[in-house]
Amino acid sequence: MIYRDIGKRIQKAREESGLSQEELASALGITQSALSNYELGKRRLYLANLEQLANVLGRPLSYFMEEEKPADGEAATRVDSTDEVTSGIIGLLSELSQEERVQLLDYMKWRRDRQK
Amino acid sequence: MIGFNLTEEQSVFKQAAREFAENQMKPYAAELDRREQTFFDPGIVQRFADARLLGLPIPAEYGGAGVDYLTAAIVSEELGAGCAGMTVVAGTTWLAVISIMLVGSEEQKERYLPRICEPAGKLAALASTEAEAGSDISAMKTLAVRTGDSYVLNGRKHYITNAGLADFYVVFATTDPSKRHAGINAFIVDGDSSGLSVGRTEDKMGLRASRNAELVLEDVEVPAGNLLGEEGTGFLVLMQTLDTSRPCLGAISVGLARAAYEAALSYARQRRQYGRLLIDNQGVSFMLADMATAIDAARLLTWRAAWLTDQGMDSTKASSMSKVNATETAESVCSKAMDLLGAVGYSKDLPLEKYLRDAKAMSIYEGANLIQRIIISSAL
Repeated sequence: MIYRDIGKRIQKAREESGLSQEELASALGITQSALSNYELGKRRLYLANLEQLANVLGRPLSYFMEEEKPADGEAATRVDSTDEVTSGIIGLLSELSQEERVQLLDYMKWRRDRQK
Repeated sequence: MIGFNLTEEQSVFKQAAREFAENQMKPYAAELDRREQTFFDPGIVQRFADARLLGLPIPAEYGGAGVDYLTAAIVSEELGAGCAGMTVVAGTTWLAVISIMLVGSEEQKERYLPRICEPAGKLAALASTEAEAGSDISAMKTLAVRTGDSYVLNGRKHYITNAGLADFYVVFATTDPSKRHAGINAFIVDGDSSGLSVGRTEDKMGLRASRNAELVLEDVEVPAGNLLGEEGTGFLVLMQTLDTSRPCLGAISVGLARAAYEAALSYARQRRQYGRLLIDNQGVSFMLADMATAIDAARLLTWRAAWLTDQGMDSTKASSMSKVNATETAESVCSKAMDLLGAVGYSKDLPLEKYLRDAKAMSIYEGANLIQRIIISSAL
């Protein structure tokens, strides 16, 4: 899973640099097939490989290793189902009747619209 | 083209390792197996040092034998046939030095690699596993906090082979647990560092000649110069180290299987039942044929994985396949050998029951076989 995520970020950085797989593979001195396997997470990248990739693509190593952080403001609105409050709300929903759920939805819409 | 002839150098190392296993391992294996687990025989270290085996993969310019990984696998099989428990004492040292060989700076290599090659014999160890971070290494909690020119490490590492015995450790710690794998770093920690101590020693089913214990880090100050690789890349360092050393672990298991098979073959050629030798029964000879075939297949997988590593080719899948196959072959062959010897094999008078206990450990450690199957399937 981790190598698949790293591979996706390599693909993104490559595409943002306007390079094809063949062009980047050529710059790295590897086959297009090897690069494809890196991007698909089928082949493990070692430190030296990633350092070379980072150099060619002009990104810090952390760009490939770390998960993307949400843009400013996005974090506040993102709903994480594992979050304690959110999972508490979901858990209690089953105790409400359909009519009460409609009332709750109306209340949530009212809260949202009031903030606009 | 593919060739299976050993080079002259490989043949010399193989023969020397076989003699070492016969003379310096087998005579002591049963005694060490029965000792209290807190006991560790320092004589093992000296014997390995005298044979120049601790520095086997270390390049000659740092004082080692500088063999390639295929030769290391050939040697590992011979040592595994002698005693897998003793072999992992050296094997764990190789694991730690390989991480330095792979990503260490020249200064780090010059400072640490020659130590292992000293005549007095010194060990190294690798510390990544924690109580809540075994297979899921990204969950590690041992914390490294940067303070000026050093890092301060706090945490507890579990099941660490050579804990309390190593001259230095390669310790994995996170600078930010929320980053999971991206927060992990590898540090070289001197064995005499202030704040470093040994906790509980494990009482294990097998591999009893080696010591596994908890390694406790309490405000251990590590110079920033002892960070291996770039900050935040410890996960890659660990995976590369394990991928590289895994064929040797497979080869140790091949040796273990071979020892069990040879014991069964010898017994079948001597034991008479119903007026004839055991081996003259087709049921028995077919069992031995299956064992010999499985061992040969496992050996070839370890050789291929080590060869791919030596060529700098993609070896991850082959390396995991070799570990899964060799360790499971060892378990199966040891079990079949015991079936063949019956009550004699079940007795502690013979090493078969020890082989079986040791074999079980090989399937579990340095990446459990279930994890190896994840690695293999992700590469399909």
